[in-house]
Amino acid sequence: MRGFGEVAERLRRSTVQVHSRAGRGSGSGVVWSADGLVLTNAHVARGVDLEVEFWDGRQLPARVVMRDARRDLASLRVAAASLDAAAAGNSSSLRPGELVIAVGSPLGFAGAVSTGVIHSVGPIRGMGNRAWIRAQVRLAPGNSGGPLANAEGRVIGINTAIINGLGIAVPSNDAADFVRRGPRPSLGVTLRPVSAGVLILDVDPDGAAAMASLKAGDLLLLALDELYDALDSGQPALRLRFLRGAPSSGRLPVRETVVRLGERAAEAA
Amino acid sequence: MANELAAFSKELAAVVERAAGSVVSVHARPRFSSSGAFWRPGILVTAEHTVRREDEITVTLPDGSNAAATLAGSDPGTDIAVLKVEAPGAPAVAATDDPAPGNLALALGRSEDSGINATLGIVSAVSGPWRTWRGGRLDRYIRLDLTLYPGSSGGLVLNAAGQALGIATSALSRIAGLAIPASTINRVVDEVLARGRVARGYLGVGLQPVELPDHQKGLIVLSLEPEGPAALAGVLIGDVLVALGGTAVSDTDDIQTVLETHGVGRAIEVQVIRGGASRSVAITIGERPRRS
Repeated sequence: MRGFGEVAERLRRSTVQVHSRAGRGSGSGVVWSADGLVLTNAHVARGVDLEVEFWDGRQLPARVVMRDARRDLASLRVAAASLDAAAAGNSSSLRPGELVIAVGSPLGFAGAVSTGVIHSVGPIRGMGNRAWIRAQVRLAPGNSGGPLANAEGRVIGINTAIINGLGIAVPSNDAADFVRRGPRPSLGVTLRPVSAGVLILDVDPDGAAAMASLKAGDLLLLALDELYDALDSGQPALRLRFLRGAPSSGRLPVRETVVRLGERAAEAA
Repeated sequence: MANELAAFSKELAAVVERAAGSVVSVHARPRFSSSGAFWRPGILVTAEHTVRREDEITVTLPDGSNAAATLAGSDPGTDIAVLKVEAPGAPAVAATDDPAPGNLALALGRSEDSGINATLGIVSAVSGPWRTWRGGRLDRYIRLDLTLYPGSSGGLVLNAAGQALGIATSALSRIAGLAIPASTINRVVDEVLARGRVARGYLGVGLQPVELPDHQKGLIVLSLEPEGPAALAGVLIGDVLVALGGTAVSDTDDIQTVLETHGVGRAIEVQVIRGGASRSVAITIGERPRRS
């Protein structure tokens, strides 16, 4: 019988460890193409000085190509050829109860395997209306960025988080879309949802929000999920209402700004 | 790339899909929803501990729509609540009362956001009738080795053949999730639909197990509910209860078991020892007052 062992062995060859050379933690990654493209989580690919370690012990420096913080994806490029690329599955046809297998380096154990089933597929409150995969697999820090595969060994998701003990993965179709078309539009800000809207904690000086003169401390007057929906709607610009200033200084005027979002590559045929 | 593992995976997903049409999400407590299952046409069962209000209960049906549900009644002892819903819905799979340790078990739940959900594990232990800490009796003790995530209590538990073993609850055991067996659900649903509740027999006595000088065992009456069934029948504090309905009794579990087989309102023959002499008293079984 072709069991989990065989599937796991094949998957291990397409799974890498991603280290930050500055020693800021590590995670896992998936070899996406044989010519050196590696996918991982944006929160794993944090430093600039990254190193990728393959199943056979080879270590190569890696460069961050793209990041999508909202979907927590990053693509890395390593100078290598003839790598064992993972086979991507179709994440739009997943059914709860299907067997899944996760490979990664939880807590630094390279090539560790956990198995389980698809729990459910759907949006997570406060994380936009895009679907996430919830899987009944034991994950630990270090699994982040690694593959979640089906019983045929095809990668159907990128393990990203643990919520209430469930593994949360980005669907592979979204990962493929990210590789093909680049990151989805973003404001280039760090946000915190509050009761009145979303508070901007930090602004990336090169981001779309900075170009629209939004600053740290501004309060956007919409819910996080509404903001994400608007960003995903494909509009080239976004009209945002916000408040600026200390709430104690009386009634604040509602301000408005238009954020121009970068054009995204058209869907490849 | 067909292989046996992939075939097994497809089978599991198919089992989930077949039963998914009878699993709902129940909104009857703040913040977290729970799960429920159609047990009969228009009749849902869920875990009683997840029903925290009696009004404004809604359910999310398998087609994603929401419907109002009314609480037909509940039995905290077995952690079963019975809901009626004005929407088409019926059990999708047959129930079985024959689980064995080691059987695969799938727990199905539903949430409003992401639809049906499934977890896989095994039946880790099965035994005969079991009294819960809440005072009810499960026809079987079915312990599950699977993770019941928040919101999955009340959902269907299936075996690998797709038959329903019962519904899941995390509230009856501290160490594991249990499946409330199908036969217990049938019994409670019948009684709730007929009477709106599960009536439990009541004598109105406080008892303490004692051993008599002749090594016979019994229960001494330490307190009496004034105007309670036992008091009305002439039982006195200090009497030692040795048999109930012809069955020797030596602890309170024995009493509960005997009362379950004798309906509320019926007279039961009680053997007591008073002042060293044995005598017989007939008590009309009352109904245990509901905990408020």
